[in-house]
Amino acid sequence: MDGLEMQPGQRRCLALWFPFLPCERAQREQANEAGDAPPFALVARVGNALRLASLDRVASQIGLVAGMTLADARARCPDLVTRPADPQADEEELHRLLERMRRFTPMVSIDPPDGLILDISGCAHLFGGETGLIAQAKARAGYGCRHGLSSTAMAARALARHGGKGEDVAPLPVAALDLDEGALAALRRAGLRTIGDLARRPRSMIAARFGERTVLRLRQILGEAASPIAPARAVDPIRCEARFPEPIARTDDVMEVIEGLLQEAARRMEARHEGGRRFHILLLRSDGARQELGIETGHPVRDPASVMRLLRERIDTLADPLDPGFGFDAVRLAVPWTEALVERQRSWDGGAEEARQEEVAALIDRLGVRLGPERVLRLVPCDRHLPERAQRMVPAAQALPSAWPEAQADLPRPLLFFDPPQGVDVIAGVPDGPPLRFRWRGRLHEVKLAEGPERIAAEWWRRREGHQPGGAGRARDYYRIEDSDGRRYWMFRYGLYGDEAQIDWYLHGLFP
Amino acid sequence: MHEVHCAGEDRATALAFALAMADRGDGEAVFLLRARERQRNASVISGDALALLGVDPRLLTIVETGGAVDMLRAGLDAARCPGVATIVIESEGRFADYDLTASRRLVLAAEASRTGIVILRCDAEPRSSGAHTRWSVASAPSVPMEADAPGPPSLDAHLLRLRGGAAGGRWRLIWDGQDGRFRDAARPEAVPGAVVSFPPLRKGAAGAGE
Repeated sequence: MDGLEMQPGQRRCLALWFPFLPCERAQREQANEAGDAPPFALVARVGNALRLASLDRVASQIGLVAGMTLADARARCPDLVTRPADPQADEEELHRLLERMRRFTPMVSIDPPDGLILDISGCAHLFGGETGLIAQAKARAGYGCRHGLSSTAMAARALARHGGKGEDVAPLPVAALDLDEGALAALRRAGLRTIGDLARRPRSMIAARFGERTVLRLRQILGEAASPIAPARAVDPIRCEARFPEPIARTDDVMEVIEGLLQEAARRMEARHEGGRRFHILLLRSDGARQELGIETGHPVRDPASVMRLLRERIDTLADPLDPGFGFDAVRLAVPWTEALVERQRSWDGGAEEARQEEVAALIDRLGVRLGPERVLRLVPCDRHLPERAQRMVPAAQALPSAWPEAQADLPRPLLFFDPPQGVDVIAGVPDGPPLRFRWRGRLHEVKLAEGPERIAAEWWRRREGHQPGGAGRARDYYRIEDSDGRRYWMFRYGLYGDEAQIDWYLHGLFP
Repeated sequence: MHEVHCAGEDRATALAFALAMADRGDGEAVFLLRARERQRNASVISGDALALLGVDPRLLTIVETGGAVDMLRAGLDAARCPGVATIVIESEGRFADYDLTASRRLVLAAEASRTGIVILRCDAEPRSSGAHTRWSVASAPSVPMEADAPGPPSLDAHLLRLRGGAAGGRWRLIWDGQDGRFRDAARPEAVPGAVVSFPPLRKGAAGAGE
């Protein structure tokens, strides 16, 4: 049936089911080479056993089913490739698919766990009829997909998941009612195998024996009761535009226009209690050239003045300044990345503390725009064994305040680490003792005081063969030493004495 | 504003002195400005050591700049920001862009916002500037602990210049882990106030602006 012959007031719903979505997503991340791929499954820990959470097409064809333990599956199919399941990523992927389907109809809703329902009433003729729309939607989704088309959402869903050809719901199995296992078993025991069998029975009897829910589902599938969908509302992006009857050429005027746009965007963000993290400005020149400006902030911002400051910084760092040419025709502002920003109540001291923190955050943003965000850094602790890996430098705009672990005063660390450690020539008194004197940067240092060794083993648990003898990597013996000038150093010797013929010493840091 | 001169191998000591000298308010930001070093002798600040020196590593922001001009500009921006307690500018060698004009600018910005600025100058000749004090810092032999282990950090501080006062004092300072500050070795009893009681080293009404 074609969309043009549709009766007025009749709805048409299209259900899409992506049975292999989780596995296809995971394989896509792996960039699989073409050819006959081995069977693939995602596993999740259920209770105390690893069980298959979802399968790909190949694995389901050789008889594996979701829910069987990984050990059973491996016994049946030794070359099964598995990866841990990630339900969160699957859900995000489904939301991405939903956004892709918006071009066909504004009424799209998620049909958990792995499907979508589109209300395509009155939309099909724009895409060459319903068959054309379905083909385009499947191509756009890009995943293995089955579809069902009917006049109600519930029936479309049942057809997509259990149906064959056509739109007749009578031959569908009772599993299409989507009831729990107990109710389905009861139906099967009563000899009711298809929707058609059930539809011929009086409704009151079904309600008495199998519950009201069964009747409701049945009526929805048969189209007697409405099965409305709740379409996911699109959040309209924050965009403003200013067009000029005459091109404007002065940079100051352009900045004023941008400020006006920012004020308008701020009003709209305020209504949503949001603040922008990324601002994008497009300047359209009258000769067709486009110039773009983009800034990012570390915290959600609404205040036009602070955004203007960052924009001026960005313009200052541009290799070639804004070139108006024959003037700008239009200016567009978009805020593609917003986050919640709620007005907080000021504390007792008039908000002096918060004001200071906001000032520092703004300063970090400004320096990040000017120098690049990877040059404004904060220290973040890492739970690693090696001293040079126990902290990371992350861009300050992204750093989350994390508690620093309690520093151990009896195992002091140098204030400055050399990265990488610098090699030194050492004369040691006893083979496994601290050095007597060492040569660093061409100068000889006499060792007066020494403390050690503090042995720090390599991270054998991160190595492939780390549990085997000799595969763990070399341990380091650290010494805290002081030379005759009173300077304190942190030096280490690689390896256990007696294991290697060659003993290497390195200087790793300076103590105050 | 203060200048701290040191030899290249005493960098860690001078940095510790600068951080200890700085008046850190409660939970106020500390900025450390460094030039991005060559690969051969790149050095990284250690958060654990900072925590032992009484600086909360979460409050430290490290800004790595490409050149001296960028560094001074960033320092000026930070000095004008009211939420910043201390700015340490780490430089090595001549640091030619740091002249009288630049230092006066930093001093004025710091006076307006009550921010402490410390300029570390490794392997550099002292140059006339607008700084209030100029120190020369070198590591000193520590008091050995048992079994000939190196003791707590200790340093020799030499006051080269003090604006409006007598310079030339020398102190042997030893880190006191109990109190979390450097202490004068000649006077082991507790000294109230900062490192040594210097009015210009205090902030607030007594010594407005550094």
